[in-house]
Amino acid sequence: MRTLFKSTLLLLFMMPMSFFAQNTLSGMVIEQDTGLPIPGVNVLIKGTNQGTVTDFDGNYALEGVKMNDVIVFSYVGFASQEETYTGQEVINVELAPGALLEEVVLIGYGTTRRQDATGAVQQISTEEFNRGAIVSPEQLIAGKSAGVRITSANGAPGGGAEIRIRGGSSLSANNSPLIVVDGIPLDQRGVQGVRNQLNAINPNEIEDFVVLKDASATAIYGSRASNGVILITTKKGKKDAPLNFEYDLKASVGTVTDYVDVLDANQFRNLIESTPGTDPDLLGNADTDWQKEIYQTSVGAIHNLTVSQGFENFYYRVNYNNTAQTGVLKTDLYERNALNIALNADLLDNTLKLTLTSKGSFDDNKFADEGAIGAAVNFDPTQPVYDPNSQYNGYYEWTDANGVALQQATRNPVALLMQRDPDARTKRNITNFNVDYRIPFVENLRFNMNAGFDYAENEGRNFRPVSSAVVLQDIPNEEEYSGINRNTLLDFYFNYKPYLEAYNTNIDLTAGHSFQEFFIQSERMFTQDNQWRTAPLSRERNALESYFARASFDIDDRFLLSASYRTDGSSRFSEDNRWSHFPAVSAGWKLNNESFMEGSVFSELKLRAGYGITGNYEIGNNYGYIGFYSRSVGGASYQFGDRFYQTFRPEEYDRDLRWEELETYNVGIDYGFFNDRLTGSIDAYHRTTDGLLAVVPVPAGANLSDQLLTNVGETVSRGIEIALNGEVVQSQNFNWNFNYNITFQDLEITRLSLGDNPNFFIPQGGISGGVGNTIQLWKTGIDPTTFFVYRQVYDENNNPIEGAYVDVNGDNEITEADRQPYKKASPDYFMGFTNNLTYKNLDLSFTFRGSFGGYMYNNTQSSIGFVGAGTITPQPYYSNFNANVLETNFQRNQFFSDYYVRSADFVRLDNISLGYLVPGEDVNFRASLTATNVFLITNYEGLDPEIAGGIDNNFYPRPRTFVLGFNLSF
Amino acid sequence: MYSKIKPILIIFLSLTLLGSCESELELQPEDEREIPANLFNDPEAYKQFLAKLYAGLAISGQEGPAGNPDLIGLDEGFSQYLRLYWMLQELTTDEAVIGWNDGTILDLHGQNWTSGNEFIRTMYSRLLYQVALTNEFLRQASDENLNNRGITGADLERIQTFKAEARFLRALSYYHALDLFGNPPFITEDDPIGAFLPEQTNRAELFSWIESELLEIENQMVPARQNEYGRADQAAVWMLLSKLYLNAEEYTGSAKYADVINYTNKIIDAGYTLVDDYQKLFLADNDTNGAQNEVIFPIAFDGLNTRSYGGMTFIIHAAIGGEMDPAKFGVNSGWAGLRTTPQFVDVFPGGADSEDNREMFFTEGQTKEIADINSFTDGYAVAKFKNVDVNGNQGKDVTGEHPDTDFPMFRLADAYLMYAEAVVRGGGGDMGRAVSLINELRTRAYDSGGNIAASDLNLEFLINERGRELYWEAHRRTDLIRFNRFSNNGIWAWKGNVPQGTTTQSFRDLFPIPASDLGVIPI
Repeated sequence: MRTLFKSTLLLLFMMPMSFFAQNTLSGMVIEQDTGLPIPGVNVLIKGTNQGTVTDFDGNYALEGVKMNDVIVFSYVGFASQEETYTGQEVINVELAPGALLEEVVLIGYGTTRRQDATGAVQQISTEEFNRGAIVSPEQLIAGKSAGVRITSANGAPGGGAEIRIRGGSSLSANNSPLIVVDGIPLDQRGVQGVRNQLNAINPNEIEDFVVLKDASATAIYGSRASNGVILITTKKGKKDAPLNFEYDLKASVGTVTDYVDVLDANQFRNLIESTPGTDPDLLGNADTDWQKEIYQTSVGAIHNLTVSQGFENFYYRVNYNNTAQTGVLKTDLYERNALNIALNADLLDNTLKLTLTSKGSFDDNKFADEGAIGAAVNFDPTQPVYDPNSQYNGYYEWTDANGVALQQATRNPVALLMQRDPDARTKRNITNFNVDYRIPFVENLRFNMNAGFDYAENEGRNFRPVSSAVVLQDIPNEEEYSGINRNTLLDFYFNYKPYLEAYNTNIDLTAGHSFQEFFIQSERMFTQDNQWRTAPLSRERNALESYFARASFDIDDRFLLSASYRTDGSSRFSEDNRWSHFPAVSAGWKLNNESFMEGSVFSELKLRAGYGITGNYEIGNNYGYIGFYSRSVGGASYQFGDRFYQTFRPEEYDRDLRWEELETYNVGIDYGFFNDRLTGSIDAYHRTTDGLLAVVPVPAGANLSDQLLTNVGETVSRGIEIALNGEVVQSQNFNWNFNYNITFQDLEITRLSLGDNPNFFIPQGGISGGVGNTIQLWKTGIDPTTFFVYRQVYDENNNPIEGAYVDVNGDNEITEADRQPYKKASPDYFMGFTNNLTYKNLDLSFTFRGSFGGYMYNNTQSSIGFVGAGTITPQPYYSNFNANVLETNFQRNQFFSDYYVRSADFVRLDNISLGYLVPGEDVNFRASLTATNVFLITNYEGLDPEIAGGIDNNFYPRPRTFVLGFNLSF
Repeated sequence: MYSKIKPILIIFLSLTLLGSCESELELQPEDEREIPANLFNDPEAYKQFLAKLYAGLAISGQEGPAGNPDLIGLDEGFSQYLRLYWMLQELTTDEAVIGWNDGTILDLHGQNWTSGNEFIRTMYSRLLYQVALTNEFLRQASDENLNNRGITGADLERIQTFKAEARFLRALSYYHALDLFGNPPFITEDDPIGAFLPEQTNRAELFSWIESELLEIENQMVPARQNEYGRADQAAVWMLLSKLYLNAEEYTGSAKYADVINYTNKIIDAGYTLVDDYQKLFLADNDTNGAQNEVIFPIAFDGLNTRSYGGMTFIIHAAIGGEMDPAKFGVNSGWAGLRTTPQFVDVFPGGADSEDNREMFFTEGQTKEIADINSFTDGYAVAKFKNVDVNGNQGKDVTGEHPDTDFPMFRLADAYLMYAEAVVRGGGGDMGRAVSLINELRTRAYDSGGNIAASDLNLEFLINERGRELYWEAHRRTDLIRFNRFSNNGIWAWKGNVPQGTTTQSFRDLFPIPASDLGVIPI
């Protein structure tokens, strides 16, 4: 359908040209198997840009054909066919089914045909991406893939997201998938100094994402595969393509859709005045909506200028990108200048393919003080923003009689933003050189090598003048920091693909080696106590060496069998635990190729099953098995006599530290009905993480800290993922397709210590309110995002009774023993629903996302939704309340009440985009209007029900944006 | 073309094959972090490690005031040794209440804590962390290691003294564990570093181990008053022995008051002197204003060099609120937390208007009774510790955040009181000396007319006098238990979590082993 659409455009574009042509060739293209006409087939004169496409009846007419021109007929899903023009008037063509480039899916260290994949693998290409002014690549595929949940961290410009494939597998270790960009596995820990490490990849330049979900697909990445793998391929130039320029602009404006519901000046005054023991004289006369003072309408622009050209042996694509985006939080700014280069050379009769990809970027940030968000919610609304008598550059601050700011009082949120000058720049280059060589004399033997690096250098500065109430010294608060992240890669593999005719079996054998090293350095200087201080230089290095192999068999185009093996050695473990092995096997049965399925409604039906073991390398610590000493800095010395001695501290370590291992079983069906008008897949999995790495309380005295990262416990996760794609309407002028996916997930801790105390738990999920309070827990038998609360008792009007909780154990006392696990933050199921409609040159697409069964702890309400929160203050000032206080009338904090744990179900219209293409003779012009974060259906009372981790506190709101896009190509 | 490419390919191929050298996987820190094999060839490093053992009582991590904490199970400021010890020794008694809402903090004064209480848990972790640090020191400074590293002569002698001090500090933490928890896990330098579950000891065994350790190091320590300021000497060992023996009946069931007499005598005769003005003991310059002659073992703080959000920063800031002016205390703000109960106010004759100069209650804007434990103005505040010197000048930290004031962990007045108590409890000694020692304290406390007669010197007088002399110095819980008025006897506001106060069960005399420690079993 897509191809049809594109081809139709192309056709319209080409039509005027045909009037000037001389020789006309016409004909019809039909399907070899069925004899039905194929619309939208590309008909091209080889070596030129001249061509056409077939119409709805499969007919074409091609003008300007010269003698001995070779005409190429190509269409997705069919083998291309070439015919030589020798003066015929008509060439009719029957296309046979076949594998084309588009059908090839990248998998780790190689490729496979989509229909031959035996693992849970999904490819998401350009046409399916989310629309809008997208700065971060992962937003392109939010809601597009079953089992993949992408939760943007917040509304900050250029901000990152939490990506979870199958919910993540670990507790304390990293749960982010491995991301491989053009062959280079990125550092899963990210890169310092940026908001989102993926921003180094310009979304405009991404060709496709391939998501590897189950172990049989990911195990070839061994110790980094447990959380899934995302392979990102960027766009390259095309062979034999004319010089093409493309300019794309996306201009956006964004606004905050909602504010935290706090008391206004009158309500606040009433509450303070009606509370005994308060001093209303502290209140002001202003009426300030602090949240409106700190937010603004954000603006942004994304420019992309692309040049591409292809010759017979050499082709290239160069893209320059400028992105600038202000935040809805005042003073927040993100800017990117990036140059993407892709050079390809096909040498030695196409047996040697060299590919150089290089992504260079300047990532500039002004990090606004996000503390202003909480301050705006807290600040007394009866006070003004500005005060002519203030010694703090005219900003109102709570002060004592001498006009000196009260240390414990909330700071003026506007001053927090304005009296700060933050600047940061990260220069980054991701470059990979790929050699793919078909070794002569041995048919079907290929050598492939990647040599690449990802180098980032950052530098930043923060400044607050002495006129800021935050500054407690006589010189400005200044900070200068810099760092380096370097990731170097060298890998190679041999690939051998023989065909055993006797058994009608295709064999695909791969074996290789990889070495990757990561280096991180950070330095920081800052002012403290009227002088510059230097933080200790930090240098981290770790290396990973691997051997890997895979064998795949395609027997009679019916049975598929694949096995892979990887062994990884990591510098993060002692010699005894250094090497580990990650095997996987999978099988598929293409039922649709069986004779008994002939004539059924299924155009595709494949059963898949896989098993594999993967690891989790990101244990959070590079030298966790070595005991080392760290030197104290700053005010951490001790006095002996008249001298202060900096100290040495031995660090905790676990000599026996080893990888987490994840064992995955996966079964799946790929299906297609009615000639693939309806396609999709269903996957079900069961995963067990063993040797679970968790930071657990270590028995007191046994080590050199109270908590230690060690292997302890096990989790089990299960899930079902369903994807459905439909071509609802296919016609010449009007087309409509949709993609729907739904994911059911369940994760449970099955063991948390090697002992058998069933009541053992580890508190998790720090909240705002008091110090060291937590609201979640890890415990055997429950989801790791489960809340840990008292059960609130309600009166007959369903209002919560302050301090009244269910006495669960019946001892007539409310103690910690009555705190119970209750609900959880992670959803039971979530879905994405995308529609694409085209009518002639008009296109419309929109994506809904929904999430169900998850809960959120409303920390904004609990931390300041009681009278004491704003009135019992250490110094003479008051602070504002969440408006929820008027409903509960709570006098004291009820942090642990399940009253604050609320359903976070939602459906969001993520984006809707309307586009119009104005085809021209030499120039194509496309305009589009996109709205993102359009509306939200939810019962959740807080700002946003979609917050990673399930604790809603001082959330940087996600703006609603409107994007105007122009695209020009010539 | 191919001939040009071929050599390049060969180079690449051989490079990749060569690249597979596994030695690249043997990596060690390349920054300031050091592995012991390198670090401890330098004799100076032992002193810096010893400094960490002392600093373990004063600060919470390696980046003072906060950052790179020692313990990660609790907010760094809360996890500091002295702050936790102070909270457990004071908040559980009539001497102090706190108005905050941090976690289960109110359960301490309410005496309704559970084994999940994070402050109790972290105290337990902190004590054993201190023990583990000391064990590591003793391992690194083992005779074998020192010999292998070629450390000899004066260096070796110095390090042997360090080792004695390390053992003193370990005994001190084990003493705290003995007093607070009774039967903690027991580990020494002979145990490995790992995630094993150490064996628990019992109170009697731990008592004798601490006693034997102290006796063993007694003569390896620097003589009393001869060591550098901040470091423990022989008198610190005597002090700890005295405390151990004074409470021996509680710990082991058999009294050892004669030993208290023996060791307090040694202290009293060692040349320490009471400072003329009681207030000087609690000021920013208490390491130089004369108080240093009374203090036997301080925990040293410094506004610039030894900083944390625990320790004296906590004790001073948290006690300031209401109408108290932080500037008069030499700090930039009050944290509006700590006050005292009306019952403790009455320990001073005349309450807040007592003629006893040690009474330092702040009453302006405060009520004596505590209607709302969260409200700072309920209950009298205590203006004892300050970050100003004798002339009222603020300490070194210009921001007024971190004080210079040292915490007097052991001081001569305590030795006097222990001597007197041991005499009264029948440990022998000299009643005359006891009375005159007490009267030295009373003379300092009263402008006139404070002295007592031998007939006044009884247990009732002593528990109150210990309160008057040593309140807020982290002695109260131990004292009340010894006088049997901590749990099932003794009533003060909000004890038992009711406003008027109620008794609790006697198992509260010991804190529970944290629930978290029961769940992790050896790997």
